[in-house]
Amino acid sequence: MSLDHLSTTFAALADPTRRAILARLASGETSVTELAAPFEMTTPAITKHLKVLERAGLITRSRQAQWRPCRLEAKPLHEVADFVEQYRRFWEQSLNRLEDYLRKLQPKGKKNVRKKPARKKP
Amino acid sequence: MTTSQSASDDHEFVITRIINAPRALVFKAWTDPKQMAQWWGPKGFTNPVCEMDVRPGGAHRIVMRGPDGTDYPIKGIYREIVKPERLVMTLDCSEHPEAWHDMVKPNRKKGERNPVGEMLQTVTFEDQGGKTKLTIRTRFISVAIRDAMVKMSMTEGWSQSLERLEALLAK
Repeated sequence: MSLDHLSTTFAALADPTRRAILARLASGETSVTELAAPFEMTTPAITKHLKVLERAGLITRSRQAQWRPCRLEAKPLHEVADFVEQYRRFWEQSLNRLEDYLRKLQPKGKKNVRKKPARKKP
Repeated sequence: MTTSQSASDDHEFVITRIINAPRALVFKAWTDPKQMAQWWGPKGFTNPVCEMDVRPGGAHRIVMRGPDGTDYPIKGIYREIVKPERLVMTLDCSEHPEAWHDMVKPNRKKGERNPVGEMLQTVTFEDQGGKTKLTIRTRFISVAIRDAMVKMSMTEGWSQSLERLEALLAK
């Protein structure tokens, strides 16, 4: 597989119909006919979307049963979500540290403001 | 405290935060290696190497060390320096440990470069009445990944849709 894994997943997720298909599959295995029903799409049109999802590893289609049920594969989704989450966490925590650091760096102004009343001697 | 995150129209990850410090100070914390080493990285991380040649074409290199001792080197080149408003730099995570690459890009060939690890980062510093609005925009250098993100953001916030999918999967 020479295609970049993550970008394939992103591209597959880019289409709203495909995301809706995944959401539908989250509640269990389904046949292509059942999947096509709520979308007002022809079975071949849905099959095209399924092929994109299958190539991205987001779904698998059983070859055993004749109706070839589609099943959601969570792993690639988790990989994308992990990456996004890792990026978000990196910045959330780095910026917390930056704020803490800058707070320590400029205590003079704040301390002076706070200390002023205390310094007053009768 | 709150950080907001979104995928903008320019198909970038965008993080913004209002920092309670003057702009000059925040800019210095980003451009002085001694200062940067104090805060860069998640909680519990240290930065045993932090070198920065802050000028267009100048190189930077940071080695983040995790609490478990794992090193995460990042290197890159400054593209633009506008003191105290704006920094543009490339980030290259290719020297990150194998485990990180495996997470981001499983099934890769041995020794294959990981395009997710190459990013262009634009940091802007805006004065807001003595405080600083910090905006960090990260754009993937890989055209394939960027294109995919373009498609995602054309429909809706893609991270949101991922979150929703995740929530569905967790049911």
